[in-house]
Amino acid sequence: MENETDGVVLGDGEPPFQLPKTMPELRRYLQGALEIEHFTIPPYLTAMYTIRAGTNEVAYYTIRGIVVEEMLHMTLVANLLNAVGGRPRVAHPDFVRGYPTKLPYSALDEKIPLQHFSPDAMRTFLLIERPERVDGIPIQRIPGWTSIGQFYDFIRTGLLELVDRLGENTVFCGNSERQVGPEDFYNSGGEVLRVTDLRSALLALRVVIDQGEGLNGSIFDGDDQLFGEQRQVAHYFRFKEILAECAYDPHDTPHAPPTGPEIDVRWEDAYRIDPDASVADYARCSDTAVYKHAVAFNEAYAELLAYLDTAFNGTPRAVIFGVPAMLRLRDLAERLYRNPHPDPDKASQGYFASATFEIDQQQINHALDIVSPRIQVARLNTEEPVNFTGVALW
Amino acid sequence: MASAVNATIAHRRHYDVIIVGAGIAGSLIAKGLGQQGWQVLVLEAGTGSLQTWEGHLHAIDTFRSAVAKTPNAAFPHNVAVPSPDVLDLTPTRSGFTTNGYFIQRGELPYSSDYLRAVGGSGMHWTGLCLRMHPDDFAVRTRYGYGRDWPIGYRDLEPYYVAAEREIGVSGDAQEQWELGIPSDPDYFYPMHKIPPSYIDEVCRGIDGRTVTDPVANEKFTLKVISTPQGRNSTPDPRYRHGAGYRPQGAVGLPKYGQRCVGNASCVPFCPAQAKWTPLRAQAQFSRSVTLATHCLVTRVIGGVNGRIKGVEYRTYEDPASAASQPYQAEADIVVATAHAIENARLLLASGLANVSGELGCNLMDHPTILTWALSPPGNGPIGPFRGPGTTSGWEAFRFGDARRTRAPFRIEIGNWGWGWATGAPMSNVGTALGVGGDQKGNIVPTAVFGARLRQTLGDQIGRQLQLQLAVEQPADHNNRVTIDNQYRDVMGNPRPILTYNLTDYVKDGLVAARCVASAIYDLLKAQEHTDHSPRDGVAPLGYFRYRDHDYAYKGAGHGAGTHVMGTNPKDSVVDSFQRCWDHPNLYAAGCGSLPSIGTSNPSLTMAALALRSAEQIHRDLVELHRPVQLRGGRETLSKVGNGE
Ligand SMILES: Cc1cc2nc3c(=O)[nH]c(=O)nc-3n(C[C@H](O)[C@H](O)[C@H](O)COP(=O)(O)OP(=O)(O)OC[C@H]3O[C@@H](n4cnc5c(N)ncnc54)[C@H](O)[C@@H]3O)c2cc1C
Ligand code: SF4
Repeated sequence: MENETDGVVLGDGEPPFQLPKTMPELRRYLQGALEIEHFTIPPYLTAMYTIRAGTNEVAYYTIRGIVVEEMLHMTLVANLLNAVGGRPRVAHPDFVRGYPTKLPYSALDEKIPLQHFSPDAMRTFLLIERPERVDGIPIQRIPGWTSIGQFYDFIRTGLLELVDRLGENTVFCGNSERQVGPEDFYNSGGEVLRVTDLRSALLALRVVIDQGEGLNGSIFDGDDQLFGEQRQVAHYFRFKEILAECAYDPHDTPHAPPTGPEIDVRWEDAYRIDPDASVADYARCSDTAVYKHAVAFNEAYAELLAYLDTAFNGTPRAVIFGVPAMLRLRDLAERLYRNPHPDPDKASQGYFASATFEIDQQQINHALDIVSPRIQVARLNTEEPVNFTGVALW
Repeated sequence: MASAVNATIAHRRHYDVIIVGAGIAGSLIAKGLGQQGWQVLVLEAGTGSLQTWEGHLHAIDTFRSAVAKTPNAAFPHNVAVPSPDVLDLTPTRSGFTTNGYFIQRGELPYSSDYLRAVGGSGMHWTGLCLRMHPDDFAVRTRYGYGRDWPIGYRDLEPYYVAAEREIGVSGDAQEQWELGIPSDPDYFYPMHKIPPSYIDEVCRGIDGRTVTDPVANEKFTLKVISTPQGRNSTPDPRYRHGAGYRPQGAVGLPKYGQRCVGNASCVPFCPAQAKWTPLRAQAQFSRSVTLATHCLVTRVIGGVNGRIKGVEYRTYEDPASAASQPYQAEADIVVATAHAIENARLLLASGLANVSGELGCNLMDHPTILTWALSPPGNGPIGPFRGPGTTSGWEAFRFGDARRTRAPFRIEIGNWGWGWATGAPMSNVGTALGVGGDQKGNIVPTAVFGARLRQTLGDQIGRQLQLQLAVEQPADHNNRVTIDNQYRDVMGNPRPILTYNLTDYVKDGLVAARCVASAIYDLLKAQEHTDHSPRDGVAPLGYFRYRDHDYAYKGAGHGAGTHVMGTNPKDSVVDSFQRCWDHPNLYAAGCGSLPSIGTSNPSLTMAALALRSAEQIHRDLVELHRPVQLRGGRETLSKVGNGE
């Protein structure tokens, strides 16, 4: 089953607009899906981190919830990929695409930048999460990918055909010990499920698709049906709520704007940032404090990726390290975004410093080196919960 | 989810059950009866703002800006429905004064509070969920003090299991078993224990060493034991023979709610909603349960043959004013779950349930002595102010024959530095900065700032160790809640008058606890700083002098025993189902029913009793309603609550 594409990051090399026909192709598509799920995280985090502390609370918690769900999706996709004998690749510089960059799996030319919390950012997010059909009209069938949902549809159909042709056991040939279970990741929207057969695979796909776009033709995701949770509006529609400064009423439909209670949104309570900021720019500024913080942030982000890579490749319980890693990112972000841009010109335009999410190979290597002893100290192979006592987290 | 209504809708309607108070006990009973399809009206005196996400965020803000981080510091002030506050009491040269909701007449202060808002004191509770020990149910027979229970541990055990499921307790069943608290050998808690703090690890360093209790003249071997708690940790896949447990998330915001991340503000409030509160039970109310907030029950209305007709309640709109409207509602069964002290107050004001003369008597708490120390500087910081208030304790002093000599006690290992004892870390900052100047108002020459300040604080705060030693208080007829129409609240309801004191038996327990704590500090090579002596002629609150030494205790918030259960209507208020002897369709549920409370925080036991009562109320209703008519419920006639 080994082949040259397995365990390789796709980056810009998107698969062609056709169904995956072989196991290596299916794995390639799933690696692509992993990258899409991650693709959204830096823009969403940027919007969240730029909200001034104590303001825009509804928006803050909405975005936070969505980020956590994207992480859940990543984990589910990694489980799918492992279930079909693949090797998810996360700790790689190309895994984090530079921003602004083209929206993956989209024939559209729009570039997705890192933007501060603003109506424009919300519009960008709507573009990312756009359901296959909204306003009742299917998006025009142009050749090429038009939505993430459509991409998943291809994966789903391809998977079903492969199971038909090769049999369930051949397709789900992965080692079940590589699966991340619900123990260490739960309850912030859905839960992680182990993928070992067609049934669990379809369920995992359903969670990923429903949470993003809404349950066929409604504004809600399917979590109440799948997990018995309180009913909640899907990502696309949650961003619409913020943009409209108004929540959906339970009786609203996808075709019309929300008509529920007002949401208190204050666009001015955000740190404006330069979407083109880079560490190289910061390095050139006379005051290097921001540069150092921006690098520290990127290093911490590389560590997060290193933990996830470890979790997805044979040490599932390492996923718990994602929690302190995210808390650390939050703290580093707090220190970063409140500073004016170190370039006096940019500062005079009202820009603040921001995280750039630029990760290079050296940072990845370094991150892998430092996370592995920490994971060893935590003794993850016991049944017991992970105890961080004695583990130096940073 | 419960439908919240205003008072007028409930007015003059007839319900199967009316429940007074949406705290822990009321919410669990309402949930259970709702699942059986009964029409339940829950009347809650407080406001409902905490039910929403905005209310939750507002409470976080209120807490952040509060100067004194007391248990009620996160919750909006309510003039119409006042709550007692620990800040109501002030020490004076001659003792103490009080200017809050309680009138206090005892020699010593009752210094615990509760909260009247939706969720009740279950909003600000710490969440510790200890079962009582089998010996605790028969203290009179075994050790010659207090009152015995009409039922024993074995009767309650299945309901402990059910309560632990409702609350989603995290714990280590094996460790509890070793303490002599029996469970099914295959029993696992729903979730793994909360990871012990670093302080616990430090304390574990003296496991196996012994200390002598000079009062009982007995040696005890130290062993740090983790404390079961109602906060989310990692679900245990072994729970319920492999069925596992799915933790409940936040209330008000779907998809939020985390496992405990150690924010260290559980009292009053868990921002991450990892801590269990009654709001979680309310979120699962069936449609036949109606929760009405802003409805203060003023009187339970008696009818013929001792039967109860219903309740009278007043509703207000503005928590800042006392303007209110009276209403009535009727029910087949009325359940008072307004908190131990409020239950007594309400029934006394209604002139009911007191043929025994014991209503309001036997008020108990866990008088708690605080001791504090600094860990040895050479070993570096021990990491206080991280994690829930406590994750472990020393348990040996709770059991055994020493109970014949002095009250037993439990040693909670505190995770929040000297917070409770001295107001740290803010007090350290104030002292280091020299805030307020010296006695003459001049600048303090030793004040530090900048890097020195940071270093000083890091050194002092990072080594703070505090032990909370909670002592059992036996039922004592003289400790009591009474009312007097002379003292009323703004709405005209009689306020609770408390008469409270500690017996020598309890004081001996406090003395033993204090000595044991010092011995432990010696073993840890920690430098003790405990000081309960008067300063400038004013003694700390809860001060008493005993056998030539100074002591001071705090209240634990564990108000109990005001309508004790028993086997005889002549000397107890309720039967073992918490049904009033004098009124077959009136229940008084909550910690007030406990005839003894051992050294366990009482709410888990109270929750177990509540689930047991829910079953009995269901049977009573079935009896009243033959043939049974189920209305709107989701589940069939399975046993309420008893999920195993
Ligand atoms: C700081 C603190 C920490 C604690 N920690 C723990 C712990 O770790 N473990 C533990 O076991 N216990 C703990 N407790 C004790 C615990 O909070 C109580 O035992 C428990 O909440 C009592 O539950 P209840 O349902 O009887 O009353 P409550 O939770 O107080 O609820 C009573 C409800 O009735 C309402 N009410 C009152 N009067 C009326 C009226 N006249 N009409 C209508 N409604 C009314 C109130 O508003 C309230 O909602 C703690 C207490 C405090 C103060
Ligand atoms: S320690 Fe923090 S997260 Fe844990 S229960 Fe307490 S407040 Fe909540």
